[in-house]
Formats: sequence, structure tokens, C-alpha cells
Amino acid sequence: MKALSEDLGEQIVGLLPRLRRFARTLTGNVHDADDLVHIAIERALSRSEQLRADSPVSSWLFGILRNAWIDEARARNRRNRVFAPEELGESVADPSGHQHADVISVQGALARLPDEQREVVGLVLVEGLSYKEAAAIMNVPVGTVTSRLARGRDALQVMLGTSPDGTHAAHGRPGTDAQDPR
Amino acid sequence: MTISDDVLMAYADGELDLRTRAQVEDAIAADPQIARRVAAHQALRGTLRAGFDKVLDEPVPDRLIAAARATSGAPSQSRVEPPQDRVVVPLRPRRTRTLALPRWALPQWGAIAASFVLGALVWHFGTDWYSSGPVTERNGQLLAAGTLDKALSNQLASEQPTQTPVRIGVSFRSKGGDYCRTFQLRDNTSLAGLACRDQDKWRLEALARSEASPAGSHPEFRPAGSALPASIAQAVDQAIDGEPLDAAAEANARTNQWRVSH
Repeated sequence: MKALSEDLGEQIVGLLPRLRRFARTLTGNVHDADDLVHIAIERALSRSEQLRADSPVSSWLFGILRNAWIDEARARNRRNRVFAPEELGESVADPSGHQHADVISVQGALARLPDEQREVVGLVLVEGLSYKEAAAIMNVPVGTVTSRLARGRDALQVMLGTSPDGTHAAHGRPGTDAQDPR
Repeated sequence: MTISDDVLMAYADGELDLRTRAQVEDAIAADPQIARRVAAHQALRGTLRAGFDKVLDEPVPDRLIAAARATSGAPSQSRVEPPQDRVVVPLRPRRTRTLALPRWALPQWGAIAASFVLGALVWHFGTDWYSSGPVTERNGQLLAAGTLDKALSNQLASEQPTQTPVRIGVSFRSKGGDYCRTFQLRDNTSLAGLACRDQDKWRLEALARSEASPAGSHPEFRPAGSALPASIAQAVDQAIDGEPLDAAAEANARTNQWRVSH
């Protein structure tokens, strides 16, 4: 058993860069993200018996991290604190400095999405998971993944000013989750 | 034929079965409006990746590594593994990554309609790409044009002018026997790619956007083959037969106008 948990520890170490990236898409800032990863690591190690041989360790860890984030956000809400990202434009990654001041950063745009859209955008568009994998992690049907993803995409295109045809996407879909085909 | 935006989105995310994918690709080829919508979906993927990939290059805080190893007790001999989705190949440098231009850049999208790819490029870089850009399309294939075509045909990696608009990387023979060369454009597009000789043209096998060189650096001093986006390096890795050409073999190939002697 010791060998197994050692192995899991090393697998987690190997996945830390991706876990940190996913946490960053969820929380929007480095401190909360790393705290979240820390919580997820501890939970994973204490629940290693839940790890299934037939599903990737990465999906399992993403799921733990995502659930930890939801728990954390709830706890913060209970304390009447806003789970807000850092200064939205702060992390614009443009070393050339050519970014116009009125262009919102990718991070800033993502931070403005509703939580359930942000997590699916993080899993599918940033982490590159399939809809099915994302659905398993979020514990929702694939149809919910696609509808949330579509709305998240539309909102991001509008915020980033990259809608293929201007007005279409801006009014095409509601911002709420009301139509989820659950 | 009308195609819903959800289907176009699923196409951009690689979620469609072969048959539906082919239908979408037909629609893309037939309708520039659809091509634009798909390009926007793909561009968003690239933009998001570009916005967060830098996290992968950050040093992981020691406390997290320590937490992961907390149960193992004994110090481990293994180092931090690279994250799974980053392909480590000999040509992959630390400081580049594919940016903004999304998954059609990857070789597994080889069957995608060339006109659509060109549409995505134009979407990114402006309409003058149609008339005078370094990439053109003919009979469903993406070909080098203008300065890029000239550089691929004439420029030796060992003898490159410092102000050249196109930087040639490595040259090699592909598994199919053709000559292939990697290149980087030194303009504001920062495009890099892999082109293979196809009769008298250079067919583009892969394209990706590399991170712009930091101001004040001297990119011309980079060794040949460095600073390639990972997806291009991966394409090279998949295509190459043996080792890259040395300077003499490269010069010889140019003399023979990149024709393959059978």
C-alpha cells in the first residue's frame, strides 16, 4: 500500500502544473489557486482508495479540485465574502505591451463568467478534455456541458471582441443556466 | 445546408464523428461565413490556452510538491515530470508555445479544408493575406507563396541574412521521401510552420504561432531548430526520417531544386 501511495504522490507531482492551471482558471488568482491545489492534494491522498483503475488519475484529480473549489466558494459565501478575482487586467500576458487598455484580458473575461460556465471552459478549452470527460468531472450530462460551454463561449467572444458576426452572439443565448437539459 | 452553432462548436472541439465532421468541412469549404464562425471557435480555444499556458512554465511551489509527497516518507529520486499535454521533443525549446492559432495547426487535422485554414489566417491577420500573404491555397492545399516560397526554395539554414523576413530552421527528408523544412516568419504574425516539397511547390504541413521574440533579443543567434512552437516540433518529429540534413546535404538539395532522386 505504501508503494501505491508513493506512486500516487509522484503522479500528483507530475500533474501539478496542470492542476495549478486549472485552479487558476477557476479562481482567477495565483494565491487562491495554489491554496485550492493544496486542499485537493490532501483530499486526494486521503481518498486514494477511491481512485479507479479505469479512469485517468488526471480526471480524478480535476474532479477533486473542482469539488474543493465549490466547497470553498460556498464557505466564502457563508462568510459573506465575495470570491473575486484579482484586479481583472492584472495578469494580461503580453510582454510586448501592445495590448490596448480597453481590451479585456482573457483572464479577466473568464473571471466574469458564471462559475458553471467557467469550469467547463477551463476543462474543455484550456485543459483540452473531451465533453464526456468534463461531464464526468462535473457530474452532469454531456448535454449540460455543451449548453454551458456554448453560452460561455458566446460570452467570451463578446467580451474579447472576437464574435464572428458582431451582434449575433451577443444576444443569441441567455446568461443563465435555466435551459440546462438536465 | 444549415449547421447549428453547437455543431460548429463541437467540430472546433474535435467532438464530431467522422461523418459529421466531413459534412462540416464541406460546409466550411462552401460557405465563408461558416468558415469564419468555426475559425472564431478555434481561435477562442487558442486564445484561452495562450492566456493560461504560462502557468505551466511557472515553478511549482515547494509546499505543493511537499504536500503531494507527504505520504511517501522517504525522499523521492524522481523529478517533476513535464505536464502530460506538452510534447517534449528534441526541438522543443522552453520559451515558445503555440499561441492563438488553434488546433488546425496540428498535423492530425491534415484533412481539413485548406480554404478554411486560410480563412482562419485572414481572420487573424487581416484581409491583405488573401492577396499578398506568405500562404496561399490551391486545389485544396495550403501552399507557401511570396517571400515564404522564395525563402524555402533558396535560403540555406547555414547562410541566412540577419534581416531576413523568413528564418529557416531545419531541413530533412520525410518518411515519404520528400524534402521538408521548418520556418518562422519574422513579421508581426510570428507564424512558424513545416513545409514539404510537392513537385514545384511547398505544401504547408503544419502552422502555429510562436511567441514573439522579446524586444532587444537576438533571435538570429538562436541555433537552427530552436524556438519552434511545440506543435511544429511535434510535426517534425512525426514526419522526419532519420536526422536533419547537414549543411552540405541541404546545399545539395537546393542545387537539385529539392527534387528527390529515386
